[in-house]
Amino acid sequence: MSRIFILTPLIVLLIICIFSLTYLLSGKDPNKPPSALLNKDVPIFESSSLYNLKDVIKTKDIKNKKTLINFFASWCSPCKIEHPLFFEIRKKHPELYLLGFNHKDPTADAKKYLENDGNPYHFVGVDSDGLIALEFGVFGLPETYLINEDGKIIFKFMGPITKDILKNEIEPLL
Amino acid sequence: MSSLVGFLSLVFAIGINFYLFLSRYIFKFQKQKFNLFIRFSSLLTLLSFFSLMYAYVVSDFSNYNVFQNSHSNKPLIYKISGTWGNHEGSMLLWLSILSIFSFFFSFTKNIDESFQRLTLIIQSLLHILFGLFIVFTSNPFLVNSILINEGLGLNPILQDPGLAVHPPILYGGYVGYSIVFSIAIAGLFQNTDDEWLYVAKKWSLISWTFLTGGIALGSYWAYYELGWGGWWFWDPVENISLMPWIAGLALVHSLMMVRGEQAIKKWIVFLSILCFSLSVFGTFLVRSGILTSVHSFAADASRGIFILLIFFIVTGFGFLVFLLKEPKKSNALNLLFINKVSALVINNILMIIATLTILLGTIYPIIIEVLYNKRISVGGPYFNATVIPIMIPGFLLMSIAPILSWQTNKIQNSKKYVLGFIILSILVLIQSYFLDFNTWGFVGLLLGFWIILASIIAIFSSYKVKFTIKFVKIINPHIAHIGVGIAIIGITCSSVFQNELDFNLSEGDKFIVNGKTVLFEEIETTNQINFQALRGKFLFNIEKNQSKQIEAGKNYYPVSKMITSEAGILHQWNKDIYFILGDQKDNEWFVKVLINPFVSFIWLGVIIMMYSGLIAVSRR
Repeated sequence: MSRIFILTPLIVLLIICIFSLTYLLSGKDPNKPPSALLNKDVPIFESSSLYNLKDVIKTKDIKNKKTLINFFASWCSPCKIEHPLFFEIRKKHPELYLLGFNHKDPTADAKKYLENDGNPYHFVGVDSDGLIALEFGVFGLPETYLINEDGKIIFKFMGPITKDILKNEIEPLL
Repeated sequence: MSSLVGFLSLVFAIGINFYLFLSRYIFKFQKQKFNLFIRFSSLLTLLSFFSLMYAYVVSDFSNYNVFQNSHSNKPLIYKISGTWGNHEGSMLLWLSILSIFSFFFSFTKNIDESFQRLTLIIQSLLHILFGLFIVFTSNPFLVNSILINEGLGLNPILQDPGLAVHPPILYGGYVGYSIVFSIAIAGLFQNTDDEWLYVAKKWSLISWTFLTGGIALGSYWAYYELGWGGWWFWDPVENISLMPWIAGLALVHSLMMVRGEQAIKKWIVFLSILCFSLSVFGTFLVRSGILTSVHSFAADASRGIFILLIFFIVTGFGFLVFLLKEPKKSNALNLLFINKVSALVINNILMIIATLTILLGTIYPIIIEVLYNKRISVGGPYFNATVIPIMIPGFLLMSIAPILSWQTNKIQNSKKYVLGFIILSILVLIQSYFLDFNTWGFVGLLLGFWIILASIIAIFSSYKVKFTIKFVKIINPHIAHIGVGIAIIGITCSSVFQNELDFNLSEGDKFIVNGKTVLFEEIETTNQINFQALRGKFLFNIEKNQSKQIEAGKNYYPVSKMITSEAGILHQWNKDIYFILGDQKDNEWFVKVLINPFVSFIWLGVIIMMYSGLIAVSRR
């Protein structure tokens, strides 16, 4: 009986080491969590436009076209950094639909921000209570999602996108 | 030049340890010579460490490590602390502290010569493992390939006096357990008398005291530097330090039983191995970057695998020896319903369960991510809901444990304790009736005060009060427990009864905090040597003459382009008033004020515990 007790630490040690080693060898990056939504259907959402409350966008409106969804806010300084890149994307890939979700932001602030820095999005949806972000599993702003024609999420990125990420990870999917 | 000296002495020290290790089998040494070699290798390791420090102090940017982590206009203290403010340097610090422990252990008198030698050989083995790790994956003496006369700077969040001394003290605890580990393994191999238990007790107390100080400094730093108003966040790196701390506490208490000749040798050996294993495991988790936390260090898979290997070898070796050479002779335990032995056994079990609970919460995200490719995080709610309830019966038991008898069920003066407990319960109940009632607040306050009261009753009713050193040593366990009681009161009050106030203010505004008027004087920006400071100046209690100024703000570090928050704290004996300056919006500043009651009690309690640890070291 006592042998089993004494063996337990060795067994626990082995389990811990196996899991840790698997983790290390799998090349996971702690800063890039796997998304539960990757390769899943885009969550169902409904949002009205920042500029016209009657103008509403729904999940089915983005069917049959590639869509880049970006969560941003006027109070989010990293968003400001990636902002110019969306103009570049729009210019280079006119077929791509750019959908921005304005996250937990007063309408006036959001409008002012897009006035000053320009509006690269085809549609700016309001997510004032953060419910849409919750559906998408947004950790923190900014976050960017690429949706394919079948309405599946094929790419997700946390934090401001950069030229490298655009070139190496987003554009190959377009 | 200093890099070359440092690297050579590091390699040479590893070589000597290798030689010493082989000496067990090939070259035979006399005791005197053996000890001299051990000391010589320790001095070489220290020489290596101080060479790196010298490179930092003179800003020798030809050293790649200095170039990466230092800047010439940093104040001297941060140049020195920059030595261990990075992965490579901190591993060298780890090795140096290991050497220091071996160095002092080689002077231990009154122990069996071959036992001492075996312990030191195991230390040498550890020195070799960690030394090779430094040389092959984390060499701090690499030469910069380009000529450059300015460095990249130290992470500004680390530029703080508290944090400058936090790593060496914390490592004193982690690495101190190495000697306890070596002693226990040597004890298993030799299996002679129980003399080694006394030696182990002294060293485990030293390590535990260092660890306590290191953890407390870390959480004090988090309290005023991170600007979140709390001092414990169940961050993975905090959990990692808490595990060997609790296991070490169990070890220290188990070693107390040696006095009553009730030592459970098996259990003590197990705990000794566990403490050091947890320390190495912690080093692995932190250094491999496998866990995300406020302590984000550069992640590097090869380093991770190397330390994992060390962890596997050390722990596997320890437990394997334990399995094969299990101590045979064991006294039967005198377990009664309530005597000292049973109380200590129950407390030990509770502490181990608490340690395992924290371990599970800490590695659970890794297991889930490997199995299901999902990222989850285990945080405060899990630990609060599991660890605290496990600890509560232990705290209750601890209040009376020191006065329990070794041999019988009787408790001296039991009526006094019962009466004291009843009166105290009523008082706390009345107090919580008039303030906001909160279950955890009630339980915490009752426990804290009860531990203090029971210890005081014990001191006055069991011993004659004398002002001698001997008396101080006799009542030491009670003093330690009073420290715990004070810390529990501080922890309870500052977490349960914390009060938060939010304001949007312009310069010149007045607002009320805790019944006192506060004036938001002005915002001031100044240029310091290596950062720009933005400070909001507040005048607390302006009606009275004894108004106090508080400054809260942010620092901007141009070299690393980082902003750190600097909380402004007004310390009073019974509460801290904690100011955080937020963002500016249309000429208005967001100001958060936290009222943290009795935070100072936590630090006071910790200081008392450390004092007791030191007194206990000197007690035989």
